[in-house]
Amino acid sequence: MSEGRFAGRVALVTGAGRGMGACHARLLALGGARVVVQGRDGESVEQIATGIRTSGGEALAVAGDVSREEDVARNLDEAEAAFGPVGILVNNAGVASFGGTEAVTEESFDRVFGVNLAGTFLMTRRVVPGMKAARAGKIVNISSRFGQVGAPVSIDYCASKSGVHGLTKAWAKELAPWNICVNCVAPGGVWTEMGLAEHGGAEGIRKIEQSVPLKRWAQPEEMSHAVAFLAGPESDFITGQVLPANGGATMAGI
Amino acid sequence: MAGLEGRIALVTGAGTGMGRSHAEVLAERGADIVVQDIVEDAALETAELVRTAGRRAHVAVCDIADGVALAAVIGEAAALGPIDVLVNNAGIHALTPFEEIAEAEFDRIFAVNVAGTFNAMRAVLPGMKDRRRGAIVNVASTSGQIGTPGDTHYCASKGAVLGLTKAWAKEFAAWSIRVNAVSPGPIATEMTVRNRGWEGIRERAEKEIPLRRYGLPRDVSYAVAYLAGDGAGFVTGQVIPIAGGLAIVGI
Repeated sequence: MSEGRFAGRVALVTGAGRGMGACHARLLALGGARVVVQGRDGESVEQIATGIRTSGGEALAVAGDVSREEDVARNLDEAEAAFGPVGILVNNAGVASFGGTEAVTEESFDRVFGVNLAGTFLMTRRVVPGMKAARAGKIVNISSRFGQVGAPVSIDYCASKSGVHGLTKAWAKELAPWNICVNCVAPGGVWTEMGLAEHGGAEGIRKIEQSVPLKRWAQPEEMSHAVAFLAGPESDFITGQVLPANGGATMAGI
Repeated sequence: MAGLEGRIALVTGAGTGMGRSHAEVLAERGADIVVQDIVEDAALETAELVRTAGRRAHVAVCDIADGVALAAVIGEAAALGPIDVLVNNAGIHALTPFEEIAEAEFDRIFAVNVAGTFNAMRAVLPGMKDRRRGAIVNVASTSGQIGTPGDTHYCASKGAVLGLTKAWAKEFAAWSIRVNAVSPGPIATEMTVRNRGWEGIRERAEKEIPLRRYGLPRDVSYAVAYLAGDGAGFVTGQVIPIAGGLAIVGI
């Protein structure tokens, strides 16, 4: 039913050089979107874009740091020159942090907020005019279960992801008159390189999986299905919402 | 997004409005449908639409508030095969000022909206537990999240549906049974059009709804289909409001 549901759309996914972002890019391309694969590492994004093209999709790699305004401007110029205005933006780029409050340096705090929050802001601000002109747009932000309920480590990460919820809701209200829908996916535990590094490998994850009601962590593709639902025409009447995909680990606000 | 090929879905209150729309959309994605409704003619019409979409349909006619009757008609649907998806859509609504709500009216709202949901879950759960799979999608309402004046019993019943959703999600996760809710806001159903008229709908949309329009039943059905499918395999205990920017509440 959904073959080609993104046909004719241009989607930009940030932090798409690996992990979940790469999965989002692949699934959107599979649905017919022309995908801009954005990420910090030029080689990684080129590799992901090449993979998409090899399997018959359309993709462009652009390299930049979302926390730097000049990189964001350059990446969007490149994207628009190749594909035209971006109709779907997935703000996936994010960095994690570890350690208690006393261990957080001002530098690392700024870096986490720079990528997770300012990066989402800068990308969206640059993309919105095109969406307004088209009177259509889909913005999907990626937060985290930790942004909903907190965690005993990584306060800067938790706070930045809570900030993403704030952006999601405010933008939904601000941009609704232009038919721009803004929603958010809040992943729980996902088997990614980042997750493996955080928990000291597969053994560490397997232990934590037992505390999740569904008794497992997700594959990255499962997050991509949530992103695709919120990026596609089937969610046209949904805006300002946070969709948690966490195996039941958190059932918070209603 | 994952399809529903080969799945069997029970949709309650599927004879009209949003329930019919859910049955049609799930059938389009490949599911066979058990069409439950209290009105036989309406259920038969929906069943015909399901067959037109190329899927099998079984009609189950009863009052959802009657658990014994429901269990019996669901038992008869076994010929179709085991039920993998339950969409608890059956619901009634009555806009009555609080002081004027008769006890019988209050009881009836809860009997259909809450006990009906409970009864349907009881009917399908043993099979889902045996097969260690299942997806439940409860239909709540933004009224149950943020309240609507003059709508006490309906709001309370839909709030209860959210409670059922989360408790069941936790209780049955161990069997890989997922339980989620959709929460429709302003949706232009036949009933809405009858109650407000198109002029009233346009006026409210302009004034109150951020996206400046009402949704259609299909907008809700697509979210139901997403939650029913494997694409939502890691989503349980959650609520998706389909409300055009109303009910931007809890996270």
